Amino acid sequence: MEREEEVLSAIHHCVKCKLCSIASFHPNEEWLPLCPSGEYYGYQAFYAPGKMEIFRAILEGEITEPSEGLLNSVYACTVCGACYEKCKQITSVELGAPDLFEAMRRELAGKGWILDEHKAIADKIEETKNAYGEKYEYKVKEGATDENADVLYYIGCTARYRVPEIADSMLRIFDKLGVKYQVMGEEWCCGSVLFRTGQVEAAKELVAHNVEEIKKSGAKTVVFTCPGCLKTFEKNYPDMGVELLHATQFLTRLGNMNLKKEDLKAAYHDPCHLGRDLGIYDEPRAVLSKVADIKPMKREREQAWCCGSGGGVKSAFDDFALWSAAERLKEAKEAGAEALVSACPFCKRNLKEAAEKEELEVYDVVELVNRCLER
Amino acid sequence: MFREVIKMNETFSTLVKDLQAIVGEENATGDRAICTSYSRDQHWHFVPAKNPACIVRPGNKEEVRTVLMLANTHKIPVIPYSAGINVRGLTIPVHDGSILLDLSRMNRILEINPDMKTATVEPGVTFGMLLEQTRKYKLRPAFPDAPLTVSVLANYYLRGIYQTAAADGHDHTISYEMILPNGETLKTGSRALSEMPYFRYGVGPDFAGMFCAHPGTCGVVTELTAKLYRLYDNRKEYFIGFDDVDTPTKFIYNLMNDELAASIRLVDNQSWLKGIFGTFDYPYESLPKFVLCVLVEGVDGVFEAKDKLVRAYMEECGGQVLDLPAEFASTFEHESLGGAEKSCMVFGIKGRGNYHCIGLYGPLTLAAKYYAVHERTALEVGIPQDHVHFYIDPIYSFHGQLCYFELDVFYDGSDEEFGDKLRNYNEKQFHRLLELGIYGWFRPYAGIIEPTAERIGYLAEVWKKFLHVLDPNEIMNRGKLF
Repeated sequence: MEREEEVLSAIHHCVKCKLCSIASFHPNEEWLPLCPSGEYYGYQAFYAPGKMEIFRAILEGEITEPSEGLLNSVYACTVCGACYEKCKQITSVELGAPDLFEAMRRELAGKGWILDEHKAIADKIEETKNAYGEKYEYKVKEGATDENADVLYYIGCTARYRVPEIADSMLRIFDKLGVKYQVMGEEWCCGSVLFRTGQVEAAKELVAHNVEEIKKSGAKTVVFTCPGCLKTFEKNYPDMGVELLHATQFLTRLGNMNLKKEDLKAAYHDPCHLGRDLGIYDEPRAVLSKVADIKPMKREREQAWCCGSGGGVKSAFDDFALWSAAERLKEAKEAGAEALVSACPFCKRNLKEAAEKEELEVYDVVELVNRCLER
Repeated sequence: MFREVIKMNETFSTLVKDLQAIVGEENATGDRAICTSYSRDQHWHFVPAKNPACIVRPGNKEEVRTVLMLANTHKIPVIPYSAGINVRGLTIPVHDGSILLDLSRMNRILEINPDMKTATVEPGVTFGMLLEQTRKYKLRPAFPDAPLTVSVLANYYLRGIYQTAAADGHDHTISYEMILPNGETLKTGSRALSEMPYFRYGVGPDFAGMFCAHPGTCGVVTELTAKLYRLYDNRKEYFIGFDDVDTPTKFIYNLMNDELAASIRLVDNQSWLKGIFGTFDYPYESLPKFVLCVLVEGVDGVFEAKDKLVRAYMEECGGQVLDLPAEFASTFEHESLGGAEKSCMVFGIKGRGNYHCIGLYGPLTLAAKYYAVHERTALEVGIPQDHVHFYIDPIYSFHGQLCYFELDVFYDGSDEEFGDKLRNYNEKQFHRLLELGIYGWFRPYAGIIEPTAERIGYLAEVWKKFLHVLDPNEIMNRGKLF
C-alpha cells in the first residue's frame, strides 16, 4: 500500500493515552466523550488506539483473514476525526487518525474485505450514478436556471433523493436573492461514500465525469449544501480552477440578505466534513445567528460530537448511527434549544430520523434562511 | 501440532460460548481483530505484543466472580484491565490462551461521601469522571501524573500514586473488595467488619497493602474506597529556575519540612515543563536548565501565612524567580489539582511520540546522584543528551525525605534501534540504581523484579508463597515478572 512506512510510523506514535476519546477536560472539568464508535461498542478495537493496533497487525501480516470483529471495528466508525483534533493538540502528530483510517479502509478494500452494504452502494452508483440507486431525476423548476451563470449549485445525492427540502430551499434562496445559477445537466455522485469506504477505484469514473461537466459549464463558483461533496471536491478531485464554496460561505459573502429573525432557540451542530475537515466553523454560525438565537452546546467546533451518519455508518450500522444522533439531540435539549440546526443533508437526515420521538425540530441552516428571507 | 491447534481452537470456541453465557453475547468475543486491539501498550519495545485468546466485559461483580471461577477451574490466565490506558506491559498477556477481563463497563461511582472525604468507585471510573462529581463538593481525588482517562481504582490498587499534589501524600487507598480466583470475596480494612469502608486498618494486618503492587494481581478488585482532598479557593504559583539539581534541594526541604506547598515539582526545561505550561510554543531553552514549580493553597489566613513563608524561603534559595505568562500558572493549577491532560504533551515532544521512564522512590538527598547516573548511563548506551529528562516530586509527609523520581527518555516510538538502546539502558540502570540505593520501584515493571528479588532475601520466598495461597493455579498474570 501507499506510504506504508509513514503509516506504521504514525501508528507507533500513538501512546494509547486515550485522551482522544474525550473532549478537553480543562478548564470546565466535565467528562464529555468524543468517540461515538468507542462509546457505543465499548471494546478497545472501536477506539482510535485499538483501531491503529489492528491496522498495524494487518500491515505486519499478523491478521490475514477478515472477521466480523475486524469489519465492524474498521467500518463502524464515522471517521469523524474528533479523536485527531484532540490528539494533535497534545502530541502535534503529523498524520491524522482519519487519514489513517481511510488508508486502512483502502487496504481492506484492496483485499476484498468490505461490507456488503458498502459494496451495494458502489453497485448502485455504477448503475444509476447516485448513491441511493434512484432512477428518477430531481427536478429543478424549468426556466429557473441560467446555463451561462457563474454560479453552479452541486446538489448532491442526499439533497436530491432523501432530503430534497434542502435543495428546494437553496434554489429558492437563489431565486429570492436574484442570484443567477445553474445546475449540472448530468450530476453524478461526487464519490464521497466510495472514498470514505475505501473503494477508491470505483470513484475514478465519477470524478472524471463531474470534472468534465463542471469545466464545460463555464461556472466560476461551485456552491454545495453538502459538506461531504465539498470535502470530496476539495481533497479528492483535481484542481478545476473554480472556486468551491459551502452554501454558508456563499451566503455570508452576500452580506445583508434582509433576513427576518425568528423567535427560535437553536443549537448549531458542526458537520464533521465542514468543521474538522474543512475548518468552516464561523460562517454557518454567522448565518444562523441572523435567523435564530444560538444556544451553545457543550461539545462544539473541533470537539463536536458526530451525528453518527458518516463514513458509511448510516448504511451499514443504522442502530449505531441513530444512537449517536440521539446523543446529540440530548445535548441540544440540555442546551435549551428548541431546534437543532446543521449545515449538511446527511446530518439532517440522521438527526431528523432520531428526533422522531423528541420535541426538537431539526433543520438545515438553508431551510431557515429560506424561511426568513423576506422576498 | 496441527491437531493441537485445532483442539485449542475448539476449546476456546467453547470457552467463548461459556463466557457469553455469563456476560451476554455482545460482551465476550474471541474475534482475532478485537483481541489484537488489546495486544500491545506503549511499552512494546520491552513487552512484546501478545493477543489474548478472548475478551470478556463483565457488567457487575457477580459476573466477575463467575468468570474467575471458570478460569480457575480450567487454569486459564486472566488479565484484569480497567479503563484501557496501560503502560509498561501490565495488562499484556504473558501466556497464550489468556482471558482479558475488560472491566470498563463497571464504571459506577458508588459513593461520594463529603463528610468522610471519600469516594467508592468501580474499576472503570476514570479520574476525569470522578473529579467531575467530587468538585461539586469542593473535593478532588489525588491525581497520578497520568492522563485523566486512567482508572482511579487501578492506579490506587497498584499502590502509591505520588505526585501531582505533593500535599496528598503517598497512599490514597482506604479499603477495597477483591474477588479471588476461587470466587471468594475478600474485604480489607473496616469493610471486613461493617458497612463502613472508611478506615484502612480494620482488623489484623494491613491486608490492603499486602494485596497491592504484585506482578500481576492477586484477584480482581471490584470496588475501592479512596481518600478525597479539599479544593481551596486561594492559590498561588511560583516558578524558580536553577542550573543544577542539587541547589534547589534545600529549598524543597524547607517547603516540605514546614508543609507549605500543595504541589512541588522540579523538572528539566525541555520535557514536562511543556506539559505543565500547556504549550509547545515557548522558548523553553531560554529558561534555566531546571525549573521548580510550586503551588501554594489553603484557607484564608493559613494561605497568606504559607505564602509569606514560601516567598521568604524563595529569596534565599539561590534560584532565579521566573516571570512567565499568566496562563502557565493556570495550566499548572489545572494539571496538578485537576488531572493531567496537557501534561501528556510530553508524548509529542519533538514529534517523538513515545517515552520511556524508570520511576522510583528514594530520598531527596540522592537527587543529584540519580540524575547523574541517569545521564551517564544514557550517554553510555548512545542516547543523546537532549533525550535525557528528569523530574522530582517530593511527597508528604516527608519522612525519609520521600520523593518520587522519574528518569525519562522521550523518543520516536517507531525507531527500533532506539528501542535497543533503551533495553541496554534498562539492563545497566536497574543494577546501578539498586547499587546507589532506592526505597523501591514505582511499579513492577518488566525487568526490575528479577534483579530486585535477588536482593531481598527470604522475603522473596515468602512473597511467592503468599501469592500461591491466593492464586494456587497462577492464573492472575504474574508469570511475566515473577
